[in-house]
This record gives sequence, structure tokens and C-alpha cells, in this order.
Amino acid sequence: MPLLTADRAASAAVRVQELTRTYDAGGQPVTALDGIDATFVRGTFTAVMGPSGSGKSTLLQTAAGLDRPTSGRVFVGDTEMTRLSEAALTRLRRTKIGFVFQMFNLIGALNVEENITLPLRLSGARPDRRWLAEVTHRVGVTNQLHRRPAELSGGQQQRVAIARALAIRPDVVFADEPTGALDSHTASAVLELLRSIVDDHGQTIIMVTHDPVAASYADRVVTLADGRIVADRNQREAEAVA
Amino acid sequence: MTGIALRLLRHRPGSVLATLIALIAGVTILTSMGALVESGLRPLPEPQQYANAEIVVAKRDLTITGKQLGDPYTATVQLPERGSLPAGLADELRKVPGVENVAGNADALTLQASDRVAVEKVAASAGAQVYTGNDRVLVERPDIAEARGLLIEVGGAFGGYVVMLVMFVVAGTIGLSIRSRRRDLALLRATAATPGQVRRMLMAEAAILAVAGSVVGVPAGLLASRWLGEQLVARGFVPADYGLSRGLLAAPAAVLLIVLVALGSALLASRKLSGIRPAEALSQIAVEPARLSKVRLGFGLVALTGAVSSSAVSVGAGGQAALAGAVSMLYLFVLAVALLAPWINGITARYLAPVLRAGWGNSGYLAAKNLAANARGGATVLTALVLSIGFGGSVWFLQDNVERQTVQQLKSGTLAQYTVLTPGEVSVEKLGRIPGVEAVTPMRQTAVIVKVLDTLEVVPAQAIDPAQAKATLDLKVRKGELAAVGPDSIAVSATQAASRGWKVGDEASLWLGDGTPKRLRVAAIYERGLGFGDVVLSTATFGQPPTKLLIRATPDAVPALKAAIGQSATLIPSEQATAGVSKDLAISAWLNKLLITVMIGYAGLAAANTMTVAALARRRELAVLQLAGVTTRQLKRMVHAEQAGLLGVSVLIGGVIAAVTLTAVVYALTGGAVPYVPLAGVLAILGGATLIAMGTTIVPIARLLRQSSLAAAGTRE
Repeated sequence: MPLLTADRAASAAVRVQELTRTYDAGGQPVTALDGIDATFVRGTFTAVMGPSGSGKSTLLQTAAGLDRPTSGRVFVGDTEMTRLSEAALTRLRRTKIGFVFQMFNLIGALNVEENITLPLRLSGARPDRRWLAEVTHRVGVTNQLHRRPAELSGGQQQRVAIARALAIRPDVVFADEPTGALDSHTASAVLELLRSIVDDHGQTIIMVTHDPVAASYADRVVTLADGRIVADRNQREAEAVA
Repeated sequence: MTGIALRLLRHRPGSVLATLIALIAGVTILTSMGALVESGLRPLPEPQQYANAEIVVAKRDLTITGKQLGDPYTATVQLPERGSLPAGLADELRKVPGVENVAGNADALTLQASDRVAVEKVAASAGAQVYTGNDRVLVERPDIAEARGLLIEVGGAFGGYVVMLVMFVVAGTIGLSIRSRRRDLALLRATAATPGQVRRMLMAEAAILAVAGSVVGVPAGLLASRWLGEQLVARGFVPADYGLSRGLLAAPAAVLLIVLVALGSALLASRKLSGIRPAEALSQIAVEPARLSKVRLGFGLVALTGAVSSSAVSVGAGGQAALAGAVSMLYLFVLAVALLAPWINGITARYLAPVLRAGWGNSGYLAAKNLAANARGGATVLTALVLSIGFGGSVWFLQDNVERQTVQQLKSGTLAQYTVLTPGEVSVEKLGRIPGVEAVTPMRQTAVIVKVLDTLEVVPAQAIDPAQAKATLDLKVRKGELAAVGPDSIAVSATQAASRGWKVGDEASLWLGDGTPKRLRVAAIYERGLGFGDVVLSTATFGQPPTKLLIRATPDAVPALKAAIGQSATLIPSEQATAGVSKDLAISAWLNKLLITVMIGYAGLAAANTMTVAALARRRELAVLQLAGVTTRQLKRMVHAEQAGLLGVSVLIGGVIAAVTLTAVVYALTGGAVPYVPLAGVLAILGGATLIAMGTTIVPIARLLRQSSLAAAGTRE
């Protein structure tokens, strides 16, 4: 199991230390994360796997600043997220972090272009037209910019969500079961898109999935069970050795 | 954020329409209510009779000053009768340096003066006031002064409650429409909107809707106030030359108020959402936090206690005050229901489960589960239904009860078979000597003024000659003797005695209708205060000429009576006189009834709106159920069962609230323990509530069910 060393931490996109998260479920405390330490290196594609209730979604949400840990620390680049106020945390998210959710993640009232530029608009930034053109071309939604999400197929919706995540040039993209609601053909196209973004642009992606096929596109697979890391496999290196 | 707010609005026409309707109706009502107050406060017309008098001195108001708990206060009322000036006042005024050309009579004096303050001082020592400028018209036109008082009183007493109702409804509708989009907002938060941005977006949205609502509401309100003005003049509430305002000042005030209320409601609702976790956008099902605050429970119980205990206190004398008391009591009850609704819904869902299951099978089972799970969301719906049932079931009937009791008391309290109207100078003694005439009681309808805490209250009264009253009047005397009422004593109604704390033998301080202060002994307490006024004076105390004569006589005395009273007076059977009074009552109750109708209508509209928004927000939930194998028919039955359950609970709670309010107020006013409630009225309210509850849910739900469930489950809420 490759342990993380100090010099690798320097090139970390995201780092979590002794992360715990407990929930109060009807008076009963439930431990979703039980002291997680992990570093996600820049330019890598990591899959987080584990059975239902293993804490993989909670890890993603706390690492992405969507939820706050009970204890422990989260760093995005050099910034410690756990110390930020809700508004400052939001500002950090919309400038440094991109999201792709399982489904239902586009605003139905806005068209494709507006959905893609929404985080930019919310942060008051002027969209970089050339970059947007490149992103939309890259994910293949250039011809659908003025359509509403309801008029798109599931795969197309997910491509728009990826474009939205990339539009802000994020330090890291978090994806929560991005192919969970897609058929296998569409799913593999979306996964290939994610893979190529890592390869071509050096983008960091952390993806939660329970699907081994989806995980096979990643460089590294971290497996959780009962809120702890039970396996951490660098599959690119493994392939190279094999 | 405004751009995004607008886009989001365009995307959910159903709930936007509901909010808009509440806002439009709110602006319309506020504008026309405001026009009434504006009319009451508008500048007076030019005087005619006193056009050339620089200063007019007359006695038209009663003003007192004093200290209540250390705070100085001043209270003024318009005198119910014209006050006359003391004989020596003219000479006193002539002595004031700079005063010239004093002229006039006991009714009013005109003069010129260089020092107004000095004149005021002298006038005040005689209980008179000084009028200059357009105020002079108040001396010559008591009807204008009266109309002014009515407009301000109606605007003040009802205006406040209408404003509260509008605020309640607008806040509820906006709050619900925001809550129903919890998921969308979580998504916005996740895709990088700060809590402040979400709040500003919701406030921008509310402001846009409020302004859009005003665009329709203001013209509608101006039209309504125009119509109202015409009606007020036609029905004799306001003299034709009064010059009612059309609401040009009230309209901007109404718009400002509605925008502020909308902004405030959005702020409040978005504060409630501040606990929203962006992570909720990632989860499949948006679940509202189940935690209910103990603070809410505490406030709910306090409101409930307040409502129950207010029933004893809230009631004042007179129709307007009684209605205001009833409405404030209702509000407390409804506030308590609004606060306690989650618990009420939770408890009823548990007890209703077997009933719904028996009635609707599996659909009923689902309905009970939904009611229990959605105890909090259902709170707004329950409150809206209870509000309209509580309103409909009490204030309307209250007005009816007051009218009915007044006429009833008049009928059974008048023993005299004949009534002479406009008797003028007819000699009572002469009539009494006519063979067949047993008794004649001269009577003058007047009013007295009593001090209540730091205000002055005008109390309806009659001045009678008590000598033969036993044969002509039956006031249902409970204590003392009506015949004992003399120059230094009065009889008072049980209601008035109770609220003033007067007992037989006590001294009562009051002012006569013309402003004369008196200390009079309570000689009797009677029950028929609604029909005959709350105070009975002797003509020896208040010597103004009678407005009617009550005559107990045999029919064969009629020709002689008719001959004796002359041409200017009219003799009619007493039943006919009572019918005339009941007609007058109906006319004076018209304004109350109109305002009540508006309030009930608005409460009903609010209920309809709330339920439509709540129904439209269930698209996703219904789609998920459909995907889980529940058929469209079963879903419809489920919705029916839910609505039947909600309606049943609302009718029960609203009915109890209405009954308690109505009984308390009617008891305090009439002493009758059982209020009169016509069956048709009850059916109308039940039918109306059922129609609203079913129509506003079933139609939108049917529309939702026609859409593809897969698409609905997969997209936004």
C-alpha cells in the first residue's frame, strides 16, 4: 500500500487529515467517516469505491466542502477549507472546485449555456469565451447551447454538467456516481471524456462510484468500508508492473 | 441575481400565479382600505355659513387630559349632541384684549381676534373649542365631522386587521413557494451560490412579484375604492359633497407595504433555509429536517392560552368594537394553530390512519403516511383552511347575531302599541288625558361619553321620562327599579355595568351627549342594552326634546291621538317602528358585512392558493410513487384521502375556534349563551371549504399525473 510522503503532499490538489463525520440518526450517533487520511495528487483520476453506507459519498461531500466534517481538516491546494465561513467556503468552491452529480444537477429554468456559466455568473466573473468554446466543444454540446435540460438525453445532461464543472478551470473536479443513471454505452462515453480531460489537461478528478467498470478508468482506486480506507491501489502503476 | 430570479420564476408558472394572485388581491384590498382612511384624513371643504368669520367658538368635541401610569395623555371625541355655550361666554370673550365683533348665539360664536391663544384659553374654560380655517366647517356640518369619524374608525379598526391578514397570507404563500423549491436551492448552493446570494435572489424574486402584483392590484384597488365611495354616499354614510379620496396616496402606500411584506417574508423563509446543506442537492430525496423546535411549541401554547383567556376580555360595546374583539381573538387562535400545526398534523395522522385505511384502502394507508411524514409542510395548508373556516364561521354570524338580538330586544322590550315619530312640540300631558291612553313615554335617542382607561368612548343611550315607563318599556330590569331613575341617577345595561364595574348604588362619572360632565348614581341594571342603548337617563337630566313617544293605548284612542299630534308628527304601530329600526340596522351593518366578506374571501383565496402550490410541489413525489407501481387511480384516491383527512381536521379545529369565538362575543354582547347560527350558513361554509380543499388539489394533481412520470422523477421538483 503506497503511503503518502511529504514531497508528494506538496503537489496535492486535495488533502484530508483525520476526517470524521458522525450523524445523529434518531438519537443514535452513526459514524460515516472514522478518521480518514488521504492525499489526492494533481493531475490524477481517483475512484472512491465501497459498499452502500461505507462513507464514500460523505467523504466526497466533506472533501468538496458541501458538508462539514465533525472533526479533522480538509485542504484544497494550500487553503484549509474547514476553517472557512459558509460564504467564503462557497466562494472557494465556485472558483476552485467543479462538481458532477449523479443526476438532477442542472437548473431546469436555465438553458445549457446558462447552466454552464452559472458558477461564473454567481462569482461575478466574466466568462472566458475561448475557454468556454473549447470546453463545450470538448464535451460535445456545442450544438445544444440554447436548449433546456429537459430536452436533452441523460448522457447529454451529464456532458453539460461536466462542461459546467470545467468552465471555472477548477483545481479539482468531484464526481458523485456520474454514470449511475446512464446506460452502459453512454456511461463509457462519459467516462472516456473524464479520462481524456485528465490526460490532456492535467485535470484532477475524484469520482465516487460503486461500479468496478467505472473505477477501471481511474489511476487510483481507494476503497472504503465502515468509514475507513480498507484498500488503496494505484492501478496505472500496477498495470505498468504487470 | 435578478436575471436568474426572473428565469426561475418563468419556469414555475403555477406557484408564481398563486403568489401573484395573493399579492394582487392584497394590493387591491389595501389600496381601497387605504382610500377610506385617506378620505377620513383629507382636508375639509370650505365653510359656507362661517365663510366670513375669522374664528368660530363652539362646543363640538370633548377633550380630556390626564395621566395614565405616569404618562400624560389627551383624548378627544366628537360630541354626539350639539353642545351649547354658556350664556356669559360672549361677554368673557369681549374682555380678551384684541377681540372684536363677537356675535352669535348659544350654538356658536364668531369673532375676530389678534391673540388666538388667549381666546382658546377662555373657550377651554367653558369646555368650548376654537375653530379656524377649514375646521370651521365642522361647526356647521356635523354630518361631515361624523363621516370623517366613521372613515377613520373603520380604517383604523378594520384596516389593521386587514393589513395583518394580507401579511399573513402573503408571508404564507411566499414561504411555501420557497420551501417547495428546497432542492433547487440546494442545487444552487452546491453550484456555488453563497447563502447571501440565494437570499438576495429570493428577495429579488419576491420584490419582482410584488411590483408585478401592484401593476394589476393598484388599478383594481382604485376602481374598488371608487365603487366603495359611491356606495358610501348612496347609503348615507358620507354626505355627497364630502369629496371622498380615490386613493391616490393610499395606492403608493399599499404598494410600499406589500413590497416590504413580500421582502420580509422572503427574508424570513430564506433564513429558515439557511440550514440547507448543499449536499442535499446530491441526495435523491430532499427531506426536510425533522427537528421541531421547543420554542415553536412554547409560543404556540402561549398563543393558545392567550386566545382562550382573551375571550373574556376582548369584547367591547357596540358592533364595531365587538367585531374587532372577535377578529383579534380569532387571530390569536389561528396563530396558535399555525405554530402548533406540525404537532396537530402529526397527532391526527396517527389517529386518522385507521380511518383513512378503512375508507380508502391502500391509498388511505399511503395518505396517512404522507400526512405523518409531511406534518410540517402540511402546516401551511392546515392553517389556511382553519383560517378561512374560523373566519367564515364566526364574524359573519356575529354580525347577524348582533342585528337579530337588537331587533329581538326592541320587539320584546316595547310594550307600547304605538309610536309617534318626530313628535316636535306635542304635549305629552295632553295625549295622556285622551281616553284609552294608558301611558305615554317620551324618549330621545342620544349617547353619553365614558372614560375608559385613557380614551373616551361614546355609549348609546336613551333619555326617557321614567314616570310611566313601566307600562311602555320592558328593559328586563335585573336589579333596582327603572322608575327610580331621576335627575341624579341612571340605569345601565348589564354589559356596560360589567365592563365598567358599576353596581346599583354606585356613582358613575360620565358626560352627557352635549359634553356636560355628570356624576350620576346607578339606580337600575337591565339586560336589553342592545335594543335600548347601554344607558338610560331621565329627561330631567338631559332636557333635549324627545325623538319619539311610546304610547300604550287601546285602538279606539288612535283617531284622537292622530288629531292631537298634528300634521308634522306621525303615529305608527310599534311593530312598524321596529321594522324601520331593523332596516336602519341593516344599512349601517352594510359596511361591516362588506369588510367581513372581503376578509373571508381573502382567507378562502389564501387557502386555495396554498393548496395549489402545495399540490404542484409534489410532482416528484408522485412520479416516484408511480414508478414504484402505484397506479394513477390509486394516486388520485390517495390525494382524495389526504384532503379528506386534512379537511376533517380543519373543519373540526376551525369549527371549534369559530364556536368559541362566536359564543364568547355573543354572550358578552347579549347575555345569550347560544348564538344563532343558520343551517344554510353552516352548509355554505362547509361546502365552500370542501370545494376549495378538493378543487385546488385535485385539478393540479390530475394535471401532474398526465405528465410522464419518468421525466418528472428525473428532473427538478
